[in-house]
Amino acid sequence: MKNAMGVELSESERTLVESYLGLVRVLKDGKDLAPFERRNAMKAVAALWQVVNGLDLDPGNLYEIGV
Amino acid sequence: MKESPYWNPRHETMPRDQIEALQVRKLKNLVAWAEAKVPWQAARLKAAGVTADSIKSLKDLRRIPMMTRDEWMQAQLDKPPFGPLLAAPEEVAVRYHLTSGTTGRIPLQVLDSMKDWEWIAEMWCYGFWGFGVRPADIVFFAFSYGTFVGFWGAHYASEKIGCLVLPGGNMTTEARVKQIVSMKATVVCSTPTYALRMAQEAKTMGVDLAGSSVKRLILSGEPAGSIPATKRLIEEEWGAKAADTAGMTEVGTIMIFECEKQPGGTHIIEDHYIEEVVDPETGEPVGYGELGERLITSFGRGFIPVLRYRTRDLVIRVPASGCTCGRTFDLYEGGIRGRVDDMKLVRGTNVYPRAVEAIVREYKEIDEFRIHLYTADGRQDEIEVLVEIPERDGVNADRIVSELAKSLSQAHEGLRFGCKQVEKGSLPRFELKAKRLQDDRIVIGTAGERRVTA
Repeated sequence: MKNAMGVELSESERTLVESYLGLVRVLKDGKDLAPFERRNAMKAVAALWQVVNGLDLDPGNLYEIGV
Repeated sequence: MKESPYWNPRHETMPRDQIEALQVRKLKNLVAWAEAKVPWQAARLKAAGVTADSIKSLKDLRRIPMMTRDEWMQAQLDKPPFGPLLAAPEEVAVRYHLTSGTTGRIPLQVLDSMKDWEWIAEMWCYGFWGFGVRPADIVFFAFSYGTFVGFWGAHYASEKIGCLVLPGGNMTTEARVKQIVSMKATVVCSTPTYALRMAQEAKTMGVDLAGSSVKRLILSGEPAGSIPATKRLIEEEWGAKAADTAGMTEVGTIMIFECEKQPGGTHIIEDHYIEEVVDPETGEPVGYGELGERLITSFGRGFIPVLRYRTRDLVIRVPASGCTCGRTFDLYEGGIRGRVDDMKLVRGTNVYPRAVEAIVREYKEIDEFRIHLYTADGRQDEIEVLVEIPERDGVNADRIVSELAKSLSQAHEGLRFGCKQVEKGSLPRFELKAKRLQDDRIVIGTAGERRVTA
């Protein structure tokens, strides 16, 4: 996986990016999340957005999922 | 693995051409976002013939119209409370903050979402980590924790880094000094003025701050953190290193910080902002080493896109090579050097004389007034408003003075105003351009080193 600057990400970095993408997917699609699941996942996404942004992957904005 | 001295090593040491490529990419994204989500911004961009696709290099930035604080304030007045500036629904916000307005009682108000708020802390992390703050540190905040954004982001940055945080809101200066010493704080965050105030209080209490656990002070809210004499005095009294930072409510956080090498200036966080320096009269860019006004474009807070915002701050930009820390982020030599406009910073709070005047004029009984800034006890900035209230039937001057002080404080994030009635005819009258502000604040340290514009 390369970032927008063409830099190859390390395995650890790729895992963080995949975690972020997985959480965003769950928050978009998951209708059956309990409040504790949704709100904690949102907090985690807000933090992981900083990682993905800092890795130059242009994560966009997250307002549509309430983050 | 050796610990990095940088919060984001890849970005902070990126070659300049790559920083510019990153900024161009983020600028295109920001313009596209503003076009799509903020009709008010979209109209301005369209009128200037700017589209996201037309952004090819940083030179294209100059085609984007500058945004002023007055425009922001007017937009809020036209569509209260936030103006047509929001790119997301208000319900998504988790934070509301404000700063004193340029006119009257209306403050400049902002919102942040979870992601934005986390980003606000992220910017402070660049500064804290860059100045050597680490998880083992104990950080004390001499901060009032109100609606003024101030050190809020720094508080969360400290938590993010893993420090033990001591939130010193709603405490007397004496209680703060006691807690700093008893809890063995290693880092203290405050305005430069208040750092000196605490040092003075410690002396009165017989506390040896220089012998305490405090190793670092992180200063913000006033330019004095980069004024050599003031900084020297603070460092001597605390026996600690002091770093300057500067931020603004309009972006929610800091945009510049001083690193551990203390190069006499502040690094610009260039992977999250584009900072331009222009001639305040012509708007044309000025070169390295020349004094000019800083304009800011922020990639962080998506809730309120900020493009080429005129800060009215005066700065001198110099290349990153002016510091030996290895960062490739350029510097503002001497931090924020003053103001283009008449705004005054009093204990970290923005005070616009025209906003004070608008409130004073609400009291018809007041004939004349003067805003007086002075230094108390050789080190603390104070502001007072002197008023003439002629004796008339039914006029209770004491009540008016008391109410005025309360109104001014409320419009300025709780800043204390010492309102006083003076003898009738004792204040100067003006026929043409009135000069009702008198700044008698003295230089702290070596004469001439205080560079705040009069």
